[in-house]
Amino acid sequence: MTQDATGMTRETRGPALPRVLGPIRPRPRWVESRLLALVAIALVVGSLSLGATVNGTFRLFDARGLAIYLGALLAAHVAQVLAGRRTDQVLLPTVAMLGGISLLLMQRLPQDLVTQTFFGVTLGLAEVQLVWLLCALAVATTLGIVIRSDSWLRRYKYTWAAVGVGLLLLTFVFGTEINGQRLTLQIGPFSGQPTELLKVILVVFLAGYLSENRALIVEQDTRLGPLRLPPLPYLAPMVAMWAIALGIVVVQRDLGAALLFFGVFLAMLYVATGRLSLVVIGLVLFVLGSALMATLFDHIRTRVDIWLDPFVDPLGAGYQIVQALHAFARGGLVGVGLGAGLPEIGGRPPIPEVHTDFPLAALGEELGIVGVVAILGLFLVVVERGLRIGAAAADDFRSLLAVGLALVIGIQAFIIAAGNLKVLPLTGVTLPFISYGGSSLLANALVVGLLLALSDKGVEPPPLPRVSSRWRRMGRTSAA
Amino acid sequence: MDGFLLVLWAVRLLFLGLIYLFLARVIRALLRDLRAAAREPTDRPGRLIVLESPGGEPLAGQSFGLDVITGLGRDVNNAIVIDDPFASADHAVLTYRGRSWYLEDLGSTNGSYINGRRVDGVAAMGFGDELQIGQVRMRLERASG
Amino acid sequence: MMIGSGAARRPLGRTTIHVAIVMSLAFALLAGAAGYWGMVRAPELVRSPNDAAVIAAARTVPRGLIRDRTGRLLADNKKDEHGEFYRVYAGSALSQVVGYASPTFGRAGLERAYDAELTGLAGDPLTDAFAKFGAKRYDPKDLTVSLSLDLQRAAVAALGKRRGAVVMLDPRTGEVLALASTPSYDASAIANPDTARAAFSALQADPALPLLPRATLGRYVPGSVFKIATAVAGLGSGAITPRTTFKQQPAAEKNGLLVEGYRVQDGHHPATGTTALDLVGATEVSCNIYYALTGLETGGADLVAYAERMGFGSPLPFDLPTAVSQVTNGEGRQPGGFADDVELANASYGQAETFVTPLQMALVAATVAHDGDLMRPRLVTSLTGDLSGSRTIGAESMGRVISATDARAINAAMVRAVEGPLGRQYTSGAKVAGVTTAGKSGTAELGGTGEPHSWFIGFAPAENPRVVIAVLVEQAGRGGEVAAPIAGDLMTLYLKGPS
Repeated sequence: MTQDATGMTRETRGPALPRVLGPIRPRPRWVESRLLALVAIALVVGSLSLGATVNGTFRLFDARGLAIYLGALLAAHVAQVLAGRRTDQVLLPTVAMLGGISLLLMQRLPQDLVTQTFFGVTLGLAEVQLVWLLCALAVATTLGIVIRSDSWLRRYKYTWAAVGVGLLLLTFVFGTEINGQRLTLQIGPFSGQPTELLKVILVVFLAGYLSENRALIVEQDTRLGPLRLPPLPYLAPMVAMWAIALGIVVVQRDLGAALLFFGVFLAMLYVATGRLSLVVIGLVLFVLGSALMATLFDHIRTRVDIWLDPFVDPLGAGYQIVQALHAFARGGLVGVGLGAGLPEIGGRPPIPEVHTDFPLAALGEELGIVGVVAILGLFLVVVERGLRIGAAAADDFRSLLAVGLALVIGIQAFIIAAGNLKVLPLTGVTLPFISYGGSSLLANALVVGLLLALSDKGVEPPPLPRVSSRWRRMGRTSAA
Repeated sequence: MDGFLLVLWAVRLLFLGLIYLFLARVIRALLRDLRAAAREPTDRPGRLIVLESPGGEPLAGQSFGLDVITGLGRDVNNAIVIDDPFASADHAVLTYRGRSWYLEDLGSTNGSYINGRRVDGVAAMGFGDELQIGQVRMRLERASG
Repeated sequence: MMIGSGAARRPLGRTTIHVAIVMSLAFALLAGAAGYWGMVRAPELVRSPNDAAVIAAARTVPRGLIRDRTGRLLADNKKDEHGEFYRVYAGSALSQVVGYASPTFGRAGLERAYDAELTGLAGDPLTDAFAKFGAKRYDPKDLTVSLSLDLQRAAVAALGKRRGAVVMLDPRTGEVLALASTPSYDASAIANPDTARAAFSALQADPALPLLPRATLGRYVPGSVFKIATAVAGLGSGAITPRTTFKQQPAAEKNGLLVEGYRVQDGHHPATGTTALDLVGATEVSCNIYYALTGLETGGADLVAYAERMGFGSPLPFDLPTAVSQVTNGEGRQPGGFADDVELANASYGQAETFVTPLQMALVAATVAHDGDLMRPRLVTSLTGDLSGSRTIGAESMGRVISATDARAINAAMVRAVEGPLGRQYTSGAKVAGVTTAGKSGTAELGGTGEPHSWFIGFAPAENPRVVIAVLVEQAGRGGEVAAPIAGDLMTLYLKGPS
């Protein structure tokens, strides 16, 4: 449904179905191929170093797993070449590098941290992660090739919002409780965290809503004393967002998700409207809300106390973060080498839940500050590409969508990395592409796939047209 | 320090170095891309003003900024959506190339008309020319200013 | 509302750039945090007993051994049935000094103070940084301490069932020969994982506080032994000379000395009659009046200043933690922090707000013994590691407190206090046969009920002292009766060997 300047709504004709397959028109992707080659070499060298540390001779640590992964990267690259879309060539290699580092890390940790049985075959930590990585690659590549129109996202924003809220409620009611948090939904043998999917739905809704009402929010005001606020009917969904975020904290005890949702919301609001006052108000509301929560709820207050000084109780409540900080300390500048860190206490890695909550600490110990900064750099690259795609997009919806998706990855990475480094309290979000976790990998792959699809620059500007030339537009129209 | 350890540390540092090499390449690609984007003219090379639109989509009197490639048609994914029963889904493309405007008709059912003359394939357009798609008439103008 | 016109589009690009900048700054902050934990806080964290690497090492790498001055083992390692190491010690006489290292109860004493070296982690930061590049990352150091196992055991035996402390050191080098505190405890019981819990709870419940190292951390009223410190301050500041006498002193013996309405009493020595005493005489009979007048003459500021030169007012520079000894609690308005002259007078003979550790009093005696040049007390004399070799900790001076002449004057006074006709009545048993012995006894009144503490400080031979001793026995009565004989026996043992 579209709304014109006079506020009248019109039914445009029926929804455009996403066009699935365009004509196959292979186009070389040299930049991507060179970058992927570099990724492959780096991962091979990494595997060699891991193998040498663990086995004493220079052999690849898990040649089969690495080969499967590299093969999947090749397949993804070839698929994109064949599809011939002019999509971003940097995103996939960067994500592949992060995924490869994750694979090496999972190979290096004790395999019995996770065991899952698929159809009678029992898989350990690295193998399960490999499976999810392959799925993620498939999802991202497929979306990047197949999605050619965004109307199905653009048009049904309220439907998407409803789906999101529905998922949230479903998890709350039917979810399995782990550590006092109801975050997981279990369907048969598969269990996942719908919050991961929720963040994408949120971005889609906000992109649609903000792009549509952007002009009104920017130009019209309600006056509230000295403050200039957007018109009240438009304020309502935003306040609703704030309430939902706090609700998640209270009901689900998921501090990280609340932080993420609220952060993405405020950032998208700023990008759409350019009004800093809205952001400031949002931040103030958030701080007030959090302070209120902290005083009312003990579990939040404990989290904050542990964050402020974990060394007060290094063997009790502060154990996890203290061990993580010790890992960074042992790593020093260049780390102790893949496979050489994490001295075991009682036969287990010293950091509890290292594969989900603290992969950065493990990498900090084994790859050092140098390694951590590189990984942070890789995340920043993903974010930058997404923002760039947003800035270059043809219209507001796509622009906001790309920006929002980029921020979803970036802010989530920031929140958990900050938690590992005691810059923020520890929360339960995962480090995109590096933490163990199928739902996390799939949701982030969804994001990357959408970004790829949005980055299509369309065909080359045509040569000086000849009378007989004809071409089919395959992508979206916009300036290259 | 024995030989094995020396080589092992060399391999470990090589791994870190390769990640940074990758980052450097990526950053180089990013900068190249940003510089190319900066060089692009941000000013629109032209705009289309809607003169007549019985269906109301696009609104009469509305002015559209034009990009280097602008698609016109009934499909909502076009840059300029023309919701007219006589317009095809992907009706035509307006391109700006080498200081001139060109209109290419994409094989539409009812054809595109420049100043009343039907366009067969590709035709040039100048500022002030009128374009008709379906029942919608538009005029190509310079960008404001 | 599809493509907006140019004006509405541009803010989107600009705001996106702002967001890009904010994200970059945020990630730069994280990089800084990584640098902070990986470099700035790393040296401290890597050595902490909570560190996983340290814990792992403690179980697999044998801890450094601790030996006494002759090479006898004070702390050793044994393997339990799991093949992991635990500590054993050469007896409970050492426990207050050597301490214990227990996986459950942490570390105490030297085991704690030198934990990093004994585990093998410490070195200079540069070696540590490159240590991980080498194959062997742990280089536990063996410690050699200046204690004499025999002397230590004898000191503990001499104190017997009483609560107290003995400090013996060599004034020429500052090496501590014995550092005994009773009651003591069995550190091996704590270090042994099988008996640790039971032993530790029993010790914590014991009201006699066996875990308290009284020699270094116990604070007591010194009584008359503090007069040596007053003498140091008086001579050093020039307020008195060895020949100074006070006219009012003989009369005050009978009637008491009136200081701002308070009467300083002294009832010890009718034997001196009406002679005004000088330094030697007053020290021989431990004359409160003389010392009160000396203190008043010196003034609070100088008294505190000279005391601080000997270590008062801050923790002592020592291998083990020490409590701070004080002349006054410093809350008063008078110079030096005294409340009034009454307090100053009382402090001058070791009452009022003076609190000292036995180690501090040993240092006072050591100042006199080493002709006014105080040597830093130390226990550890060398550290030896397989990789790093041997490193010796040399003697170090804490500074010149008073001139050699002044020190000799006090030396002579202290000799009289032990060997003089009147003096030996107060310090019977302190003299080492055949050796000129110097010293001072003290009876520290506690005010209220309870026996006073029994003190003795001294050194021998007086011409060229090789040993300094300080003995404290809690609430044992008069100094001359209890502390002095212990000192004499121990000094004899050291100077002449076992009989």
